[in-house]
Amino acid sequence: MGKIVGGFLVPHDPVMFVAPDAPAPAVRDRMWNAFKTCAARLAELAPTSVVIVGADHYMLFGTGCLPSYLIGTGDVDGPLDAMPGLKRGVIPNSEALASHIAREGHANGFDWAVARALTVDHAIAIPNQLMVQPMREAGHAVGTIPVYLAAGVDPYIRMERAIQVGRHIRDAVSAGPEDERVVVIGSGGISHWVGTAEMGKVNETFDREILGYAERNDLRALAALSDEYILANGGNGGMEIRNWACAMGALEGARGETIAYEAVPEWVTGLGFVQLHLQ
Amino acid sequence: MSRNVLEKVLHQLTVDRAAKQRFREDAEAYLRRFALGETERAMLMQFDVLGLQQAGVNPMLTMGFWQELSPERDMRAYMKKLRPVGAAEALHSAALKR
Repeated sequence: MGKIVGGFLVPHDPVMFVAPDAPAPAVRDRMWNAFKTCAARLAELAPTSVVIVGADHYMLFGTGCLPSYLIGTGDVDGPLDAMPGLKRGVIPNSEALASHIAREGHANGFDWAVARALTVDHAIAIPNQLMVQPMREAGHAVGTIPVYLAAGVDPYIRMERAIQVGRHIRDAVSAGPEDERVVVIGSGGISHWVGTAEMGKVNETFDREILGYAERNDLRALAALSDEYILANGGNGGMEIRNWACAMGALEGARGETIAYEAVPEWVTGLGFVQLHLQ
Repeated sequence: MSRNVLEKVLHQLTVDRAAKQRFREDAEAYLRRFALGETERAMLMQFDVLGLQQAGVNPMLTMGFWQELSPERDMRAYMKKLRPVGAAEALHSAALKR
C-alpha cells in the first residue's frame, strides 16, 4: 500500500515574482522564508510523489471545455505564464501513480478529466518550484502530480465534492504502489480579488476563519460555506479554498499548524502557510 | 447578450498569439467571425471592462485583455474604468505584467 505522509496549504501568488519588492522587507522576508520552511518540512517527509491541487486562471481551459476536476497523468511542463524567476521547463512527473489515481477514480465514481500531457500554470508551478524542486536539487527523485479543480472559473466544483476528491486521492494512494510516499499540497488563497473593482483588498477576518478550519480539519464548516459567502468575503480568488479543502480531505483528521500568515495588500492576497500533520 | 461568446473571444485573445495579432491589426474584422451583438462588439472595441464584467465576464479575462491589448495597459487606468480612484490612492494589482 502507498500512503499519504503529509500535507501543506500554501499560496501561489504570482505577484511575489512580478513585484517582489513591493511589501516592507520584513513582510516579504517572512513570506519567502515560510516557503523555505515548507520546503524543508516537505523534504523531511521524504515523499516520492507530491500532488499539487491548483486552480486554472482561465488560461489552460477555455469555454470549449471547463473540467470540474482534472489530473495530469503524463508529461508535465510549465508554467504557461512564465515570469521573472519562474521559468518554463519540464516538471518531473509520477506517471504510474497519477494514472493509477485516474483509473481508481473511474472505477469508483470519480470521472476525472485526464491530461496526458499538460502545461501547468503558476498554481502548480509556484509550489513545485519553491517546495518540490529544492528536493530534486538535493538529489532526491520526486514526481509532481498536477490536479486542477474548477475554483477560478465557473461552474465551480462544489466544496463538498472537492473534499470528496481529496478523500478519493487518499483511498487511491492506499490502493496503489507499495513504495509510494505521497504529500498533498492545496495551492491558493486565501482572500484576494483578481481583476475586480476590489482588487488589492485583503480580508484578514475571512483568512483567519479559513486558517482556523484548516488547523482543526473542520471539513464540515468548510463544506457549509456558500459560494456567495466566499465571493463576498474572500473574493473571486478566495474560491481557491476549494484546493485547500481537497488537500484537507486527503488528510482527514490531520492537525493543521499555521506556519505563517500575513495580509499583504501589495501582493493582493492574504498569504497563509499551513502544514497538515497526520495524527 | 452572451457572456459565453464574450468569454470565448477573450480566452482566445489571452492564449492565442495569432488572434492577438489579428485583433491588433483589425479588431472589427477579427470580431466579425463571432456571434456577437452590436453592444458586445462595442464593449470589446472600447475596452469597456466594467460593461464586460456587468455582462458576467470573468474578471481574470477582462484584466488580461486590458493588459495585453488595450492602448493604455496601465492598471490604474483599468481600475478607473471599474470605480472612482483617488489621485493619492495606493493601488495594488494582480496583473502579471508591470
